[in-house]
Amino acid sequence: MIDYLHSQISLLVDTGWLPDMFQYPFVTYALIAALLIGPLLGALGTLVVVKRLAFFSEAVGHGALTGIAIGILLGEPATQPVATLFSFCLCFALLLHWVKSRTQVPYDALVGVFLAFAIALGAALLLYVAKKVNVHILENVLFGSILTVTPTDLFILAIITAISVVLALRFANQTLVASLQPELARVQGVGNKKVNVTLLDYAFILLIALVTVAAVKIIGAVLVGALLLIPATTARLISGNLKQFFNRTLLISTSCCVAGVVLPMAMELPIPSGAAIVLLASALFLFIVLLNQLKMLRN
Amino acid sequence: MGPAITLDNYSLSIGENTLLNPFDLTLEASKLHLLTGPNGAGKSSLLKSIIGLMPHSGDIYLNWPEQAQIPAYIPQLASFDAALPITIEDYLHASIQTRAFFLKKSKQQKQRLQQLLAEVGLEDKAQRKLGQLSGGERQRLLFARALAQKSTFWLLDEPMTGLDQKAQKQIERMILNLKEQGCTLLMVHHDQHFVQQHADHVLVINNGLEKHGSPEQIYGQQASRQTSEEEVSL
Repeated sequence: MIDYLHSQISLLVDTGWLPDMFQYPFVTYALIAALLIGPLLGALGTLVVVKRLAFFSEAVGHGALTGIAIGILLGEPATQPVATLFSFCLCFALLLHWVKSRTQVPYDALVGVFLAFAIALGAALLLYVAKKVNVHILENVLFGSILTVTPTDLFILAIITAISVVLALRFANQTLVASLQPELARVQGVGNKKVNVTLLDYAFILLIALVTVAAVKIIGAVLVGALLLIPATTARLISGNLKQFFNRTLLISTSCCVAGVVLPMAMELPIPSGAAIVLLASALFLFIVLLNQLKMLRN
Repeated sequence: MGPAITLDNYSLSIGENTLLNPFDLTLEASKLHLLTGPNGAGKSSLLKSIIGLMPHSGDIYLNWPEQAQIPAYIPQLASFDAALPITIEDYLHASIQTRAFFLKKSKQQKQRLQQLLAEVGLEDKAQRKLGQLSGGERQRLLFARALAQKSTFWLLDEPMTGLDQKAQKQIERMILNLKEQGCTLLMVHHDQHFVQQHADHVLVINNGLEKHGSPEQIYGQQASRQTSEEEVSL
């Protein structure tokens, strides 16, 4: 299917509808990845902001670095250590959330501890890994690269997107209400159906971890958390209700992902895709903040 | 009709501290039971443990003909993140309907939301953000949410505390309506005047069940007469 899509895009390049850069398969792959990751991170971002889990995905993203390092050390291919990457990050996320539910430590402090642990472990393992692989591979993991996206990555992303859509249609309201008032959700449920808030929390945490790991290739471990946070934070400033908040987050996230992949290529700038995506999202955020300030001054 | 509630050798501890010493109690169905007592005596914890939010010892039986029902719970003055772009209508929709909030609402769903908001007098504030609501509006929104479930068992934790007099009267009217409809109400409240006027049964909680009975039994005939005289003079 991906090959078919690429052949169609090549046809559009030949007829002059698309620029020459789209003749390369990796650009098509990166674009498809951006079109999947953008809405996915945007949609989850709205709930991440409501649940105040912004730094959780940051910690999981850094956990990805360690996951890759362990994978390489265990003999997985350096460019595709899928099994270790997903296993480590899911365990990391579950452990973090489990510790949260068992202690009185504030969540931000706990995430800080886990974040530091992930970086420290990653840094310790990197010394060994650097001897085995090209250091640019690690650079790609940290900041993302459109060159490394493969059809396997797209397949994984498509599956995670499909799972997320099904879960969102079924559990979006429950997750939202449980985030706003967990006690009420526990007692009164949603739509006359009881809500298992604990199970819902774990499922959401796992989904965030899955999406974060799936997005690492294109956005990078350091920056993937930012894309869960910035579009939703920006949309929050310009939305009057929940539906606007959701739709605008999706729009901002998808636009930044697509533009962050295409613009550096079109302008021949040596900027990693993750950095470009997050720079665009941050610029839009600052623009909206300034615009709001100007509006307030006028009033 | 609301359920009757039986507490059998019930007690509540937090860690090693006993908050409520063991007691037995039966609360009649379709009555307004008011819990009073000093702050920190365990009134809210008792409510929470009845609906499963806090672990307890002993047994709690609900003699509720409609077993599938879910109790309605109004917690102490709830707060919302002021910066979130979530409106009254958004919150109510997400709380009572299963259709995902990002999908288009059907005509029937919109009508249902408007009807519920009208019942609590919030119909003209449907698009107001949660962070902009006054205390009374927040409580009325929680009432709308609970009314949607048509529950006959209500647990109310100081629903009028911190509200101005107008808002207090609105909430009071809603509670008395529920009582007239035959709901069982278990409510934490400190206003002795309200307790004497409207309660069917009073429970004085102070590290356990200190005493319970009708308002006359708890506050004495004199206080009860005083209230009646006040009513006549009003």
